[in-house]
Amino acid sequence: MNHNLSDKKPIQQTDKQTNNEVSMSINGQAITAPDSLSVIQALWHAGYPRVKGVGCLDGVCGSCRVMVRRSGSPEIKMELGCQLLIEEDMDVFFSVFDTPSQHHYDLSKISTSWDVQTEFHKIFSEAQKCRHCGGCNKACPKGIDVEEGVALAVKGRFRESGELFVDCVMCNLCMTGCPEYIDPNHVGLFARRVTGYFHTRPSNLINQLEAIRTGELDVDTHSGMEE
Amino acid sequence: MSHANNGIFYHQALDNYLLKQNAGDGFEAVELSIDEHELLSKFHPDHRKETMTRLQVGPNQGDRCHQQIADVLQADSRIDAADLAGAQIKETDVLVIGGGGAGCAAALIAAESGANVILATKLRLGDSNTVMAEGGIQASIEKGDSPQAHYNDTFKAGHKRGNKELIKNLVMDGPDTIRWLIQQGMQFDLNRFGDLLTRKAGGTSANRVVYFRDYTGLEMMRVLREAVSNSDIDVWDYSPAVELLSNESGHCAGAIVSSLHDCRYVQIKAKTVIVATGGIGRIHLNQFPTSNHFGATGDGLVLAYRLGAKLRDLDSFQYHPTGLAYPQHLSGTLITEGVRSSGAYMINALGERFVDELKPRDIVAAAIIRECREGRGVVGDNGLQGVWLDTPGLEQRNPGIIKERFPKLMHLAQKSNIDITRTPMLIYPTLHYQNGGVVIDKNGRSTIAGLYCVGEVSGGLHGRNRLMGNALLEIISFGRRAGASAVKDKKTRGHKQISIDHISNLRRELMQKGMPMTSKSPVLFPDYVQYDSEENTAMRKDTDSHCGVCLS
Repeated sequence: MNHNLSDKKPIQQTDKQTNNEVSMSINGQAITAPDSLSVIQALWHAGYPRVKGVGCLDGVCGSCRVMVRRSGSPEIKMELGCQLLIEEDMDVFFSVFDTPSQHHYDLSKISTSWDVQTEFHKIFSEAQKCRHCGGCNKACPKGIDVEEGVALAVKGRFRESGELFVDCVMCNLCMTGCPEYIDPNHVGLFARRVTGYFHTRPSNLINQLEAIRTGELDVDTHSGMEE
Repeated sequence: MSHANNGIFYHQALDNYLLKQNAGDGFEAVELSIDEHELLSKFHPDHRKETMTRLQVGPNQGDRCHQQIADVLQADSRIDAADLAGAQIKETDVLVIGGGGAGCAAALIAAESGANVILATKLRLGDSNTVMAEGGIQASIEKGDSPQAHYNDTFKAGHKRGNKELIKNLVMDGPDTIRWLIQQGMQFDLNRFGDLLTRKAGGTSANRVVYFRDYTGLEMMRVLREAVSNSDIDVWDYSPAVELLSNESGHCAGAIVSSLHDCRYVQIKAKTVIVATGGIGRIHLNQFPTSNHFGATGDGLVLAYRLGAKLRDLDSFQYHPTGLAYPQHLSGTLITEGVRSSGAYMINALGERFVDELKPRDIVAAAIIRECREGRGVVGDNGLQGVWLDTPGLEQRNPGIIKERFPKLMHLAQKSNIDITRTPMLIYPTLHYQNGGVVIDKNGRSTIAGLYCVGEVSGGLHGRNRLMGNALLEIISFGRRAGASAVKDKKTRGHKQISIDHISNLRRELMQKGMPMTSKSPVLFPDYVQYDSEENTAMRKDTDSHCGVCLS
């Protein structure tokens, strides 16, 4: 099939098909590749053995974050390299530096849900210093309203805050865009985690757990399943 | 009719499709009486005799196996004793290899019990197939459902070839696995009373899949990664394991990892090793595209085999029928089975249906391959081939359904530049899952002392066919089991002498059998990355500054 990109030519078909070789640059290296390729595929196509910053190739792991400047525009945008088709004169830089969170916490150390807000402000003390510069929103390749998510968490509205981060792939780009070192995506994940940890108590699950604990439910590996 | 290279060109095929589609009376029902056995044996990739071989060395000598699997299992090691001379040495209680869901679960449990844990992963923590799982996770929690029903469904779906003891433990763990995930802070879709919502997987007798939107794996992985990052687990990213270490008795005693940061080897000596490296889709068996993660190159399978661990069902893989065939940059991406469940047909290049779309995955995949091989497939001019997934028909019969029920599919279509309510998607089976793997017991122990294998790298749970939702259950259930068991082991075992002597034995055996030994494994990365090409290797060794441009 068509996984072997090194010797493939572009395909002729579909609504908007083109068949062009484009010239662009990746990490300052001039590259020529068919415009049917993603940034990562173009790099491989050109013979560069890129392995860092490559992950799921499905847009959900946040590994291949890149900075992009398109032809004729001074604007730099953040995107995911596996999802981005190359274009003529496009400049792309991989953003592979580590961005470890400076915030550490252990959910099991928060004794009751009444303490979550207090603990939140201890753990993420910078969050209330948000100066609403919009850097996080601009940096997010998923279009999440990160800034609003942080603001909701600061107000203790964790469930609502977490809802805004449903699409977050933890690419950490919002961290790099924040001048106050808030780690907005980790704020969002904290908000999501405390909601699950403290407030998810499904009765259907709990009943089944009890039936298993008491031995009411068990598995007989011989019952009616003849070889 | 313009036939080309055993198929019909895209535009002609699209005309054929539109002609029938616009005729109003739609596509005719297909003749349903097919000989499934014959279809599978003639067209399913598992049954291609010319690509199968028998293993000549190792514990599975004589077993039937795919040639490409045999190639990596019977290749030379990347390591020589000389490589270890200058290598840094680290020691730990438990070494976990792999940073997906199984590895994280194992590491969390081991660390929680007070063990020193190193988690080494080839790419970053969380870079794995786990993060891409959409459908959900199976656990019998609904009234009327039971672990017994879950057991029966799983055993039957695996063509009664699964290990009964393993399956029993898996299904009994189901509800507690969900509880544990909630305690890590994972969210699930709930009804208005706070109960878990469930849905039905193909081949199951009850609503048993719990889920979070189309993002079950993403939600699971970001929560587990955060839990690991906030623990005492020592995470080594960009550190693929390239060989296991053995002690004087042939037990597993650690691993050698190769850092992609500085291109150096490190020996990690461990009392126990838990291999959680996932599957092997990225070696593209039979040249198939894959839905798998970039790192899924079967590293753990190779390492375990070399140390003498027994494998099973090496000739059984799952090919998901509906992988995206076009556009190229998204080729292999999965299109959920739900599209067919909702009534989308599959249409060949002549504009005809050719199989009951809701047959089991192996049958449907084989039928697509049959159409393409017999000249009724759609072809492009670079070897591209496939059949249509009739999304316009689905939309026509159920106006609005695609937008409403398949937002992720809409997103995929957008990226593909195709209006799927008017133009069908080109699909072809995609390599999805390794059904077999390392033989394990109910705690994930392999046949080699000190070596655990959990998740897709292991075999036995799914027999020869896996049910949707059982993979996510497996990684957490067996990850936790292995983590707990490994900690118990650490108290009893000590290694006197640690070496890679088992590699010398392997080389001797390969030589005796006249094996070529020209290639090395684990391959670490797909071949199209050219990671091992001579100039790249030289470049990596040359100077770190080049690493800065290309590798880092």
